[in-house]
Amino acid sequence: MVLVLALGDLHIPHRAPDLPAKFKSMLVPGKIQHVICTGNLSIKEVHDYLKTLCPDLHITRGEYDEDTRYPETKTLTIGQFKLGLCHGHQLLVLFWFDAIKVVPWGDLDLLAMLQRQLDVDILVTGHTHQFTAYKHEGGVVINPGSATGAYSNITYDANPSFVLMDIDGLCVVVYVYELIDGEVKVDKIDFKKTTATTHSAH
Amino acid sequence: MVKKKVPDWLNSALWSSSSTTTSSFSYSDTNRFDHHSSTSVSPPIDPPLPPAATRDEQQHPTRHHHNYHPRKPDIKEDKYSKSSIVNDNISNNNSNNSISNNKIHNRKADNTESSAEDISNQALLLTELSRKVINMGELRRIASQGIPDGAGIRSTVWKLLLGYLPPDRSLWSSELAKKRSQYKRFKEELLMNPSEITRRLEKTMGFDNDDAKSESRCVLSRSKITHGEHPLSLGKSSIWNKFFQDSEIIEQIDRDVKRTHPDMHFFSGDSSFAKSNQEALRNILIVFAKLNPGIRYVQGMNEILAPLFYVFKNDPDEEMEACAEADTFFCFVELLSGFRDLFCQQLDNSVVGIRSTIARLSHLLKEHDEELWRHLEVTTKVNPQFYSFRWITLLLTQEFNFTDSIHIWDTLLSDPEGPQDGILLEQWYQVPPFGYKPRLQYWTTMILKTINIEEETLLRVCCAMLILVRRRLLAGDFTSILKLLQNYPPTNISHLLYVANKLRGQPSH
Repeated sequence: MVLVLALGDLHIPHRAPDLPAKFKSMLVPGKIQHVICTGNLSIKEVHDYLKTLCPDLHITRGEYDEDTRYPETKTLTIGQFKLGLCHGHQLLVLFWFDAIKVVPWGDLDLLAMLQRQLDVDILVTGHTHQFTAYKHEGGVVINPGSATGAYSNITYDANPSFVLMDIDGLCVVVYVYELIDGEVKVDKIDFKKTTATTHSAH
Repeated sequence: MVKKKVPDWLNSALWSSSSTTTSSFSYSDTNRFDHHSSTSVSPPIDPPLPPAATRDEQQHPTRHHHNYHPRKPDIKEDKYSKSSIVNDNISNNNSNNSISNNKIHNRKADNTESSAEDISNQALLLTELSRKVINMGELRRIASQGIPDGAGIRSTVWKLLLGYLPPDRSLWSSELAKKRSQYKRFKEELLMNPSEITRRLEKTMGFDNDDAKSESRCVLSRSKITHGEHPLSLGKSSIWNKFFQDSEIIEQIDRDVKRTHPDMHFFSGDSSFAKSNQEALRNILIVFAKLNPGIRYVQGMNEILAPLFYVFKNDPDEEMEACAEADTFFCFVELLSGFRDLFCQQLDNSVVGIRSTIARLSHLLKEHDEELWRHLEVTTKVNPQFYSFRWITLLLTQEFNFTDSIHIWDTLLSDPEGPQDGILLEQWYQVPPFGYKPRLQYWTTMILKTINIEEETLLRVCCAMLILVRRRLLAGDFTSILKLLQNYPPTNISHLLYVANKLRGQPSH
């Protein structure tokens, strides 16, 4: 039973002052084993805060992150699952000319390509500031949205959201936390993997 | 006011080293304890094990011998001290030759006497145990004289004394089966983590979460959470919240289990045997903590659990040994319930809490040895809490080596008075004729006696511990007294228990 917090796109301090208070009261140290962050924190203080929640912190670079040393992508293995992390702003460069034509599945196509490239079961990306969860060909793509509800070029009215994954054997339960009208709403998604991973050293 | 003098029997030749071998010291009352001394004079090995296992332990006699008390590095148990009667006279006695001669002679005498005693005791016990319906009063009487170490007798007797096994032998197999399956259920329910619990809950509620969708691409559907349960829940009744709160206790239990008896192969080390024993201790303590939210886990419970599990796990009977964990759990509950009020902080200051128990010890000492009492409490101001807290709450497991603790427990558990008939009928008529204070004291004592007979035995042993070193205490100041009592010197257990037994009833002057 491993708890993994996935969040990102906080844009502190430029677009939001802080995490919503109700989120902060729930995020206490000692419960979560790993934190993965899609990027755009954007300052070191946020990094330090996340570090207090859990020492095992993984971050990928968003375009507004002050610390440019974060990697573009990251993979890690937790239990039976391989997770991939990438902010996702890089993918949109390819989209620039198709911006008017909204092709949701195209989006997924790129993400699927990235997932195959990283060879992971769960790909976590951000940038859109909107929570989504897709399943495709035995893999799952999750976007935890923006933890502060910061505005983005694509979404103007985003609810603050983040994701907590409970990895237990071959099952993962994805708990989605959203702040809607001042109240925290929690939903979940169950996902089961069909085959076990052969652990490779990395 | 007549000053209470030390009773005559305390002043007898018993306590001077030179008389340990002479026939003037009559063993008539104490024959029954002789086999204790046989254990204490035998060559230093680990507590007795069934023959197969003993060989390994005997390879390292010196290692275990010197390390029984990791907390008392200053006192080295040398080969002869176990057989010596600890008393203040030894320090005054100049003729070392006579001491060693006495001890050797003592050992020889004890060996021949005790082996005969051993056999007869064992025979008596086995006879009693083989009856269809065991006479508990008779069993207590024999057991209080000491239980022999072999043949799994102690394991069975302790289970009977703690009420785990009923006196009617025909009911044993059904009782055991019932209790063991109950423990198995406890473990399944209480040792599950919240993920598993949630999944089970959903299964029973009929949620089918297997994605039967054949589409290779789709948006994953979100479903409602059951009962508002999610990992970050701060709700009081949330299983997740409880889990994280319990994790502190579980960490504490883990730490204490790893520290239990680090010198014994049984409990400590890298062997898979030690690890599985530790896991059993851990499970028992966690299940107990979860079932008893009022007490949860208190540091020290691991020390009380250890001898129980050790005795049951070393039962030569295969079935008993395999189910030792379950049996230990129930006996542990039983044992603690007799002393439960000592662990409950809210009761500390109440009539049944630890403070009151310590006060009763003080009162007992005053009754039997006022001079010593006065010296400790008035002159040197040694608060009994400073030394007796650990004695009482840990049932003397920290004051003596493992073997000796087990022998003391034989007596503690098998108090022949028994919980039912602890108070003689006559005592109820001995209400003081006049005076509010004496009457109040009388009734308080009677009520306390009704509630806690086993505690009385424990207090008698504690009192005896004080009396045995009275001369050193009387000669000491605050520091030296505390030093002595917090590192109680090795003692001949049979003599300790003899003295404790003598403290029954009113002091005679």
